[in-house]
Amino acid sequence: MGADDAEARTHLTLGVDPGASAVKVVVARSRAGRQGEVLGRACQRIRRRPVATVVQACVEEARAQAGVPADGLDYMATTGDGDGLDFQTGHFYSMTTHARGALELAPEVRSALDMGALHGRALRFDERGRVLNHRMTSQCASGSGQFLENIARYLGVPLEDVGRLSLEATRPESVSSICAVLAETDVINMVSRGIGTADILRGIHRSIAGRLVRLLRAIGAEGEVLLTGGLAADAGLLAALNETLEEEAGQARTRALPSLHVRTHPEAHLAGALGAALLGAYRHEQLERSGRRADLASAP
Amino acid sequence: MAGPLGDCEARLARARALVEDRRLDTVRAWKAGHPGGLAIGHMPVYVPRPMLEAQGCLAVALFGGGDQVDIIRGDSYFQSYICHIPRSTIELALTGDLEPLDGVLFPSICDVIRNLGGMWKLLFPDRYSDYLDLPQDFDPEVGGAFYVRELGRIAGELERRGARPLEPGALREAIARENRRRAALEAMDALRAREPWRVRASEAYLIARAGAALPAQEHATLLEEFLAAAALREVRYRDNVRVVLVGAFCEQPPFELVLTLERAGCDIIHDDLQLGLRAIDGEIRVPEGADPLEALARAYLEQGTAMASRYIGEGEKGVALVRRVCDAAADGVVFAAASFCDPALLDQPMLERALEGAGIPFTSFKFAENTGQFQVIREQAGAFSDAVKLWGKES
Repeated sequence: MGADDAEARTHLTLGVDPGASAVKVVVARSRAGRQGEVLGRACQRIRRRPVATVVQACVEEARAQAGVPADGLDYMATTGDGDGLDFQTGHFYSMTTHARGALELAPEVRSALDMGALHGRALRFDERGRVLNHRMTSQCASGSGQFLENIARYLGVPLEDVGRLSLEATRPESVSSICAVLAETDVINMVSRGIGTADILRGIHRSIAGRLVRLLRAIGAEGEVLLTGGLAADAGLLAALNETLEEEAGQARTRALPSLHVRTHPEAHLAGALGAALLGAYRHEQLERSGRRADLASAP
Repeated sequence: MAGPLGDCEARLARARALVEDRRLDTVRAWKAGHPGGLAIGHMPVYVPRPMLEAQGCLAVALFGGGDQVDIIRGDSYFQSYICHIPRSTIELALTGDLEPLDGVLFPSICDVIRNLGGMWKLLFPDRYSDYLDLPQDFDPEVGGAFYVRELGRIAGELERRGARPLEPGALREAIARENRRRAALEAMDALRAREPWRVRASEAYLIARAGAALPAQEHATLLEEFLAAAALREVRYRDNVRVVLVGAFCEQPPFELVLTLERAGCDIIHDDLQLGLRAIDGEIRVPEGADPLEALARAYLEQGTAMASRYIGEGEKGVALVRRVCDAAADGVVFAAASFCDPALLDQPMLERALEGAGIPFTSFKFAENTGQFQVIREQAGAFSDAVKLWGKES
């Protein structure tokens, strides 16, 4: 992406990221996708509502925050499961948008862990946000946020308390990291054995962290890694990830591997939507330069 | 009165019903309205349909069972390393779905379809079936003379089974009707290349494939009506990449796969789906006083598209593909071949080399007509679309 910032005009763009359990929306101002500034943001859980309804509500909320009228947007970009939304100008694959969003939130990182409801994905990218390598958790649910949500429900713990409780663990229990069904059976056994909720949750976090660290190693990640997606705000997961990495560094077999440290950002859950909005601005600039028609109608 | 949107939807609904007509109810209805008329099925890719129409027959293109048929008996006729379309075609025949057909033609596509023709003769000895040997020598004096004799032989076989004799006047008229259909198809292709958001590839596919069991004139009318309505409807611009889809000329991908590519950000502005209808470039010319059968044969020799079942010089297909990409102002190519499709997969490395040489990005995957999971294809196509959109020739 080589647009000249000085020449590029300011773009107002929308990024919409419907996921499996929540919709995230960002209204951003940028110069062809650079010097981005978030003017409006919204994130709502879907909770059995039609996704289109949640999208509509989030777009209105973010637009109102930004003070941008429906016809004031240059480009409406979707990502995630937004490929079927009619109002979009263009759609970007979630791997691309999370890389771009992560780079915007933490310009020094070159790797990200996108941890969503259905899967986890490790990305390595260059200084422009171009994805160089990636790996996803397999179809098994044990590497997903939905799995964590199910466990929280079984334990009767509100989702927002999961991270805090996990940090209180003193003797984390080990849980299967291979299969969600086995892990759920493990959890039932732990409950019947009287293991504390905090130790169970930390065990689950460590199980997920083990899988994610393997993904990071597989893509050749180095240095700082940004945790993005719905689980970016889960302090328990973040702690488990860094704990796993520290243990790795202490073992002879893995000591020589590049050093890694995972961090997050207060808006990391919006990384996909932010990336989409910025890439939309970049594309708008490209289309204007190439003379290809960008006939943007009113926002939803 | 329906507006343009309603008109489009109505045409698409009709097309979808025709495409999904697995039990050939349309053919049954045609036969009821044309007592004594023969319904002649044919496998992909190319069969000279005007000749069949000139003899009063209904040509019925067969594309297997898609994702609608459970293969139970069909698998016992073919090895596991054979593509899917012959299995599902056998399955349809054994379950009686192809009952309305009075005969089936097996044009030369590949060994598998040739074997299918042989099995047909064994399974249904009382039904007419024939192998149509399309020429691979494109000299009019050699391949042309052979092809005219081959067409004459098949016309004779049909006549013996009750079809009208092949008369030059009727053939000339049938070719004119075919030319009208071709012109309408070309107009649709031109519109989707110009404004892919106005006619989506999935819509174009349905409308084109709807002609499988329609006389050329009726199909041309459907195409023209759809185009007129599409030109008027309100649409939104979509910032997608423009791709050419290659490799799906015989076994057809599930409809959901075409939709998946669209949703992944690909505007398919040219494809070889329904290649049989586009196997001859441009109008089939029948000069005044010329023999229309020779003209039909000559059109195949001289205007045939560079397709996998046509054995032409090394490199010619690659050159043709690069030209197609450039003419259509496409950003890249998606290779989507049926698993185990020899013609497509043998050509693919040659085509890839040509694209690499021209700096045209491409991606490739395989499918079967009954593929039901599209997540991997969605991700691959999405990543390709983004890479082309954002990084252009670097991708």
